[in-house]
Amino acid sequence: MNKALVSFLVFVVGLAVFHNAIFPIFTPKEVGWILNRYVYFLLFVAYLLVTHFTLRLKPPIAMMALFVWGLGFYFYKWVLYPPIPWTLFITYMVMWSIGTFLYVSQDPETFRDFRRPIVKTIVGEYKFAQWVMLIGMPILVGFATYNSIYPSYEEPVELRTVHPAPPATTKVHGKTYPLESTNNPFRIDEQDNYKDSFPFLDAEKEEYMKYVTEGGTIFFQNCHYCHGDQLNGLGMFSHVFNPTPANFIDPGTIAMLQESFLFWRVAKGGPGLPNESTPWSSAMPPWEEHLNTEEIWKVILFEYWYTGWHPRTFGTEGSTAGSGGGE
Amino acid sequence: MSGKNKLSIKAFSLGLLLAMAMYFVPGMTSDAIAKEVSAEQVFAEEAFAKEVQAEEALEGEGEAEVEWSQDVFYKDWEGNPLKGPVSGFPAPELGPSDYNNYEFAPSRMLLWVANQQHLYFGSFVLAVPIFCMLIEFIGIRTKEEDPVMSAKYDRLAHDLMKVSLTAYSWTAILGGILLFTFITLFPGFFKYMAGIFRPVMHVYALMFLAESGILYVYYYGWDRMSEDKFLKWIHCSLAVLLNLVGTVLMYLANSWATFMQAPGGIDSEGRFLGNIWHVIHSTLWNPVGVHRILGNIVFGGGIVGAYAAYHYLTAKNEEEKAHYDWVCYVAMFICIFGLIPLPFAGYWLMKEVYAFRQQMGITLMGGIMAWLFIIQAVMIGLLFFAANSYLHNGMARVKGSHRYMKYCKYMILLLILCFTMWMTPHTIVMTPAELKAMGGAQHPIIGHFGVMSAKNTAVNLMITTTILCFLLYQRANKKINVPWATVGNCWIAAIFVGAAANIIFLGIYGYFLPANQRVGLSVPQVTTTLTTLFAGTAINISMFKDSESYGDIQWGSQSKVGTYAIFLLAISFTWLMGLMGYIRSAVRLFWHVTEVVRDNSVDAYTLTIGEAGKMLTFNTLFVWTQFVVVFWVGSLTGKSVEAKAPEGVPVPAQQQQ
Repeated sequence: MNKALVSFLVFVVGLAVFHNAIFPIFTPKEVGWILNRYVYFLLFVAYLLVTHFTLRLKPPIAMMALFVWGLGFYFYKWVLYPPIPWTLFITYMVMWSIGTFLYVSQDPETFRDFRRPIVKTIVGEYKFAQWVMLIGMPILVGFATYNSIYPSYEEPVELRTVHPAPPATTKVHGKTYPLESTNNPFRIDEQDNYKDSFPFLDAEKEEYMKYVTEGGTIFFQNCHYCHGDQLNGLGMFSHVFNPTPANFIDPGTIAMLQESFLFWRVAKGGPGLPNESTPWSSAMPPWEEHLNTEEIWKVILFEYWYTGWHPRTFGTEGSTAGSGGGE
Repeated sequence: MSGKNKLSIKAFSLGLLLAMAMYFVPGMTSDAIAKEVSAEQVFAEEAFAKEVQAEEALEGEGEAEVEWSQDVFYKDWEGNPLKGPVSGFPAPELGPSDYNNYEFAPSRMLLWVANQQHLYFGSFVLAVPIFCMLIEFIGIRTKEEDPVMSAKYDRLAHDLMKVSLTAYSWTAILGGILLFTFITLFPGFFKYMAGIFRPVMHVYALMFLAESGILYVYYYGWDRMSEDKFLKWIHCSLAVLLNLVGTVLMYLANSWATFMQAPGGIDSEGRFLGNIWHVIHSTLWNPVGVHRILGNIVFGGGIVGAYAAYHYLTAKNEEEKAHYDWVCYVAMFICIFGLIPLPFAGYWLMKEVYAFRQQMGITLMGGIMAWLFIIQAVMIGLLFFAANSYLHNGMARVKGSHRYMKYCKYMILLLILCFTMWMTPHTIVMTPAELKAMGGAQHPIIGHFGVMSAKNTAVNLMITTTILCFLLYQRANKKINVPWATVGNCWIAAIFVGAAANIIFLGIYGYFLPANQRVGLSVPQVTTTLTTLFAGTAINISMFKDSESYGDIQWGSQSKVGTYAIFLLAISFTWLMGLMGYIRSAVRLFWHVTEVVRDNSVDAYTLTIGEAGKMLTFNTLFVWTQFVVVFWVGSLTGKSVEAKAPEGVPVPAQQQQ
């Protein structure tokens, strides 16, 4: 039997069996270290390598390219979970396609081997492949055209600026705060080092934890409906908003920002966003109308304490505790 | 490969390493030195200011004659704003009469085109003398061991200089156009800048004169000074002088742009405080300078490479093919050496931008410019792909390379995985339905790639992979014979495996650190990468002693894919240069000079990504059209010579063996 055909069958049949029979085993409700979809994918790759090695299959480079490309497609489309947005999927596949091209074009010989079936198809040596192409390509193009012009009622994609640059100063409750030099007045320890020793606290730590607890109370009275009781942006109302409430657990949100930035965002809310953040669809209220300055700072303290992140500081300017004064 | 040629490649590698160290090391350390110098200077100025004030107080003749004001940037020992005597007029509040325009295009676009074209050509004419200096030096050094190769190097340097000469006049013309565009379309703003930088502009003009003089002596004296050994060294020294003057020229011109972005030496009203050095060497001056030098080298290498690649593809005979293949190799060698440290210089620049104004940093990396940075990431990835593709294809034509070719696919896999991480945006473009399916704005797996810890790790691994690929290329046709070959190989392997482990460890460790400490991890990561470059290259080259050759490099047999990769690299880099220039300039938003001179023109808006992309593409196409013309003009004198080339063009030494 043709070894290339065997190789192709190993891939296609193997994929069908793995996807339908083994994949469900590796996607239980309680995901474990072994029983998870990424281990499954590695197993599938290992299966391909082992079968090709033991059966001494050496498929032509064009088929190898197809396998490599197919593996990438399978991973991004089916294995990676939760599913990634279409824009990212396309980006990843472009990357993977470039990688596949680099693989087949790494030297003139492999590239010649890769081109050979394509050239033979074009010049008519592979009649069957030519017919498949002649029939398949228009169908594919037609299908893509149909899909693209089929009416869709989804909201359009928005390119929003999520972390707009803050203004140099912000005025809250009649006081002007320069954002670069303002610190949280309730932050006794810059790096939240009391977290681990809780609840065995000395006097200073107790004072700090008192502020954190007060902040937590305010958070659960006002913020958790949207930002979630685990601060992960999945509060009970979160699903009706676009943009969704910020996820503070993510390393790319409050972990990257100064506390003064949060102070400005909490105080001014969606209506206070600068021009670059258009459209102003953020549902965040301007909390300066509902909370006093101290309450805002305490909530911020709580958010950092709870998530374990540390606020962004630049050099030594952020290390002075309790200097949250304005002008 | 012959022993002589090995020597020339060693000398070439060593020369490039030294040249890079010459530019890079002072650049990285100059920040600390500058601060110390500045501290001494500040102390002296403070003392002087107190003296003057005391004298004025003693004289007691009413109001002080000299008004003192606070600097917007410089600070004294105690962190208070530095004071200086007011020596200029306040910044004007610009109105409609300060802006002119044509009907057919917005003034800002015209200025953009004029500026960008001048910068492209300026970059090229500053880069070429660096190549010529190195290539001529190697030619001199190898003259005794391998006169054929030496003549080849000398001819290449001479040919490049010929093209540069035409490009030089072109650059001057474009500079004139830029100046007139400034004066006619933005007279109010230019008047203010000229008021501050008056002496710098005159020095700049004089330096330009000096550059022209040296350039003409260097080029037209080439043949005459080649006859005598001593004169040849003098000639090569002229190249050093030419580069020094060129670098000063570039730094002076940079000071205008860096002043606009992060001003210093003036007070909050924009009045000059009497110290021109403060105005010139504002906080971004050093990083922009180093970044541009490296960028120029890559850009110049890319253009020369593309020029040679075109001739390679259209060559009529084998000899010509062999020659241009070799030129492609030299150009790409230089280009990749510039490309490797370039991202680090970029990081340094961004660090200084953040230190100047956090707001500006956020606008760039997280705010309105963030999507342009994603595009930048894509372009940088393309550069690395192109460089690696060239190396892989180049390696394939070297006999004995089969020992290393099998690793190429793994290197490609690593590059792609790193690149995927490098360009995963933190904020993903998605529909509300996709957002719902994903369960939140951040993906639980790939969401971790959106922060700097992941990106630093990815880019360092990409660079390390490229370095490894380059080392393998270097040794592709060599049979290592030194007695310590196994130990050497183990050391190289240990350096690369250790480097990768360290880079990955630091990347993961970064997730557990506060942001301010996390930023600091990029330094050991970069150091690790540079260690692989310097230590790896040094050990690799040392192992070539007494090596045997598996066969010659088959010059003239480079694959088409490898040759097209050079075009990809050159065009991508041109576009990328324009993009980064636009980002750096546009981050001032509605300011001509940040927080001092407001842009009150109708053009004071930020372009959409699409519009900016169109302008960048236009600038890229426009400059490449001009380069084609310049190269054509440069080739006019050489055509009759080329027709009877066989006599004068030596066959590469490798092919003579």
